[in-house]
Amino acid sequence: MAGPKGDERAWVRGAQAGNASDFEALFRAHWAQAYRAAYLVVHDSAAAEDIAQEAFLAAVRNLDRFDRRRPFGPWLHRIVVNRAIDWSRRRALRGEVELHDAPVDEPGADMASETVAAMRRLSPEHRAVIVLRHLLGYTPGQIARLLELPRGTVNSRLRRGLDELKEHL
Amino acid sequence: MKLDVPIPPGAEERAHEVAMAAFASHRPAPRKRTYWRPVLVVAVVAAAAGILASPPGRSVIQSIREAVGVKNAQREPFSLPAPGRLLVNSARGAWVVEQNGSKRLLGPYREASWSPFGRFVVARRGNTLVTMEPNGNVHWTLAHPGLQLPSWGGKHEDTRIAYLAQRNLHVVAGDGTGDRMRCADSLAPVAPVWQPLSLSVLAFAAENGQVDVYDVTTCRLIMRTKVGPAPSKLQWSSDGKLLLALSPFSLRVYDLHGRAVAQDDPSDGTYDSDASFLPGTHEVAVIRLHGAQADVYVLGVGPARSIFHVVGGLRQVVPSPDGRWVLLTSPVANQWIFVRLGGAHAIRAFSGIAGQFGGGTFPAVSGWIGK
Repeated sequence: MAGPKGDERAWVRGAQAGNASDFEALFRAHWAQAYRAAYLVVHDSAAAEDIAQEAFLAAVRNLDRFDRRRPFGPWLHRIVVNRAIDWSRRRALRGEVELHDAPVDEPGADMASETVAAMRRLSPEHRAVIVLRHLLGYTPGQIARLLELPRGTVNSRLRRGLDELKEHL
Repeated sequence: MKLDVPIPPGAEERAHEVAMAAFASHRPAPRKRTYWRPVLVVAVVAAAAGILASPPGRSVIQSIREAVGVKNAQREPFSLPAPGRLLVNSARGAWVVEQNGSKRLLGPYREASWSPFGRFVVARRGNTLVTMEPNGNVHWTLAHPGLQLPSWGGKHEDTRIAYLAQRNLHVVAGDGTGDRMRCADSLAPVAPVWQPLSLSVLAFAAENGQVDVYDVTTCRLIMRTKVGPAPSKLQWSSDGKLLLALSPFSLRVYDLHGRAVAQDDPSDGTYDSDASFLPGTHEVAVIRLHGAQADVYVLGVGPARSIFHVVGGLRQVVPSPDGRWVLLTSPVANQWIFVRLGGAHAIRAFSGIAGQFGGGTFPAVSGWIGK
């Protein structure tokens, strides 16, 4: 996760001023969690790489307009999770079967915990709130603001998602 | 609740390369910068303008890719400008590419590499080593916990395969018999390399960054370098007299006495992303990255000579078997760029490479070998 908030704000300021090392610090602080969050929603490592990468490219494009008083992480995570949900919905529309889509021997497939594996059975929307709550540590209220959902919806998705997970574990 | 997802090897660096190139293209041009040539400054400014002018919904990645690499790259499927065929590792698996550009997906394998004369391929599927013909027909398999990074060496009449198993070195005959742990443990996760035409001389990297050359038949140490940064790549010259050890901030070429006969130590924010011996020579083609720019030069006798410069990172340099061309791969531009070394200077660039290998992450070229 990112370092102290002061560091992060300094990195954002530096990156906005064109300092590559500050942008790199933001990248290093956030890329791995962005990848993990994307993976847990899409369960496809290649797609997760693309989504995390696109999120950072969106960050580059919007850096000038970014409000440096706001934390960088939630803004990035919102992009990641929304894109991951979109990707999963598109795949569902194409009728692809998730469990057979991941290439054999992906590290995520080899080493994922039972919980991670069980998450494949949830809908992308349920996965997203669980990832935001239990991987990234946001409160239900923060998740509601991030995803622009009513807080009650977040709570019910969390509850149903976790209940469903328990059934599969 | 524990949600642990391992990161695929190299994924962060791939994303880092693209993100930093995008950042360099987007940020305002530094006021005192004189390094870039005027034409490149124009290209970068045009790139930034292009990004800003992108219509809503258009992929940001695509904008970046159009801004870097070689302009006017061909979008149609590529062909190779020199004889031989390629072995490529993509997210979907291992592919063989013929000179005319036709491609065959061998299967969902990882870490595929050629046998010494290109008659076979060795690859990994999970913890299983798989040997096969270039048409995908499997010859034999071998399972071992923690198996990775198989490497095939030897002569026409007899061959050996080395691999790592939980950081221990193993060697097995080319027919799959006699699998044994040999000579060393605590290896760094770098593919070991056989001295050309040898059944016993193998170079590998230890966890402490030392590079060892052993006779793995007798376990006799032939050469050992000093402790240093762990190399990301080892390669023999085609005559087996020199050994290249590459790490991002240190390139060394050693003789068989362990003496560094050539070296390159990037500094000031630059690093070497790849290097490779040119076949039949003791010259090394090197990719040097500096911010969002890449230079390719040849290191050998006399001053280094520059052969290519481009905006956007380059990841790999792969010489053709005849040594007359090099293939440069650019994940940022999603391009393969062939640059002619012999004769008149020529460049052939092809875009949309990732899509030609099943999409997903940008493919890695394992080797270009003569038929």
